[in-house]
Amino acid sequence: MKRREFLTAAAGIGLSAAWAGARAGAAPKDGPEQKPGQPPGKPLVIDCHAHLHHHGSSAWEEDDRKLIEAADKLGIDQLCCSILTPRRPATVEGFRECNRWIADGMRRFSGRVLGYCYVNPGAGQPALDEIRRCVAEQGFMGVKLYNEHTCTEPVLFPVVELAIELGVPILQHAGHMNFFLESQPHLSDGGHLAELARRYPEAMLICGHVGGGGDWQWTIKVLRNAPTVYLDTSGSVVDDGIVEMAVRVLGTDRVLFACDNSMTAGMGKMIGADLPEADKQKILGGNMAGILSKRRSR
Amino acid sequence: MIDVNAYLGHFAFRQLRHNTADGLVALMDKKGIARAVVSSAAAITYRDAQSGNEEVHRETQDHRDRLIPLAVINPAYAGWKDDLKICADDFGMRGLRLYPPWHNYRLSDTCCFDLVAAATERGMVVSIPIRVEDSRQRHWLVDVPDVPLADITALVKAFPRTQFILVNGAGFAGSPLGRKDSDLPSNYVIEISRLTALLGNEIGQLIASLGADRLVFGTGMPFNYPDPAILKIKVLDASEDDKEKIRRGNAAKLFGGPAG
Repeated sequence: MKRREFLTAAAGIGLSAAWAGARAGAAPKDGPEQKPGQPPGKPLVIDCHAHLHHHGSSAWEEDDRKLIEAADKLGIDQLCCSILTPRRPATVEGFRECNRWIADGMRRFSGRVLGYCYVNPGAGQPALDEIRRCVAEQGFMGVKLYNEHTCTEPVLFPVVELAIELGVPILQHAGHMNFFLESQPHLSDGGHLAELARRYPEAMLICGHVGGGGDWQWTIKVLRNAPTVYLDTSGSVVDDGIVEMAVRVLGTDRVLFACDNSMTAGMGKMIGADLPEADKQKILGGNMAGILSKRRSR
Repeated sequence: MIDVNAYLGHFAFRQLRHNTADGLVALMDKKGIARAVVSSAAAITYRDAQSGNEEVHRETQDHRDRLIPLAVINPAYAGWKDDLKICADDFGMRGLRLYPPWHNYRLSDTCCFDLVAAATERGMVVSIPIRVEDSRQRHWLVDVPDVPLADITALVKAFPRTQFILVNGAGFAGSPLGRKDSDLPSNYVIEISRLTALLGNEIGQLIASLGADRLVFGTGMPFNYPDPAILKIKVLDASEDDKEKIRRGNAAKLFGGPAG
């Protein structure tokens, strides 16, 4: 997006003029790192939780294009994407296929789409091989885990250890309902992530979609004393105060902007949050850029 | 902008900010919202909803140029006819908000038909929130389903002279309520706070099928940040005329007064 286009888009959706002006100097680029010449402290806008579309849908290509167009309209520079299998538990071939499509998406939308490697940790060694191949050889930026296993199960431990070795985050699908969710018996919640973080304090763990994972106040509170767990803001729920509470309880540095494809909900929450502009900059991209800069392999 | 989906007072299961008349008007000023249609958040769970209406009446008395109060009436509860009369005649409330699943009745029940008929006689609009909160975050004490769109379809058909406002809903595009060939009267408008403007773009689909005259701006504040709804209109791929209808014009036709 050109500078003038970005300024128009950013101002049009309500981002502050100062933020938009600072951001306009930083065009989308191939990697997540800030480049020389980019004003310090003026991060890209990075959606840390997004999805390209499964090719089982005939509209996948059009839907992928619409996602990028939506990002353009909202001033989102980069989207960290995975593709999930339609049914779980994912088979080895199923998650490999999804990751091949993500790699293709990274090429089609170079510099815009960053890739999470999705695996079912229950697959064992093939899951680890897939993560190593995707991250070390294909430039994926992280690991996506869904609901095949609760994240405190030992079957996940080798995956976490490998993510630590590679220096990449794990985005964990998560939610806490005040009832048993029969459709997701192994759903992880913030408490599970806090427990996993105590076992692996070196891991960079992201608790997915606080705005789509049930009782968000519970999730924020249970993560208070888990300083290595980040929280992503995504989800369709736009309850007033959700972002401010996350910042108040967890600190600005642990909150990551995301949409999970609920685009106006994701950006609207950030526009509405009553926070200093510097805090919004960190959440919108600075914190995620810091996570991405820790990758140990290319 | 005119927001047809706003609230005052306390909600049983979560603390709300900006939930006094002064607080809400201050938020509206900040967001460029000229007027808002409000009802009692407390009345959703009060046994006697009328207490909530009294609270909203007191709160809004000094802000009638900005806040348009609606009455929450439970037709399954004693004294609703008296409450309706007080809300309409004494409080000057311009319409109703109905909470069938929260108040333990269905839109197809005789008591509800009686209420809608009485409200229609008084020229009151009938607003139906499809939901209050996302069901995934529900309190452990309650399990309240969304209002079925099929029930609303039957109601709007049964009361063609009544003006309905459907708020906090989604999935209309795939239901008879969102299709132009469904042979329903055009006596309802759909509020946009839960509709998508990008990707699936349900707002765009509804403009194509029903026309922009049938959509109205709403935020769900102070339950919700108002900004996502405002953002939807900004990024919506529609003509400025259509956007203006949704932001203000269609609601102004329903509620009259200064167009703001």
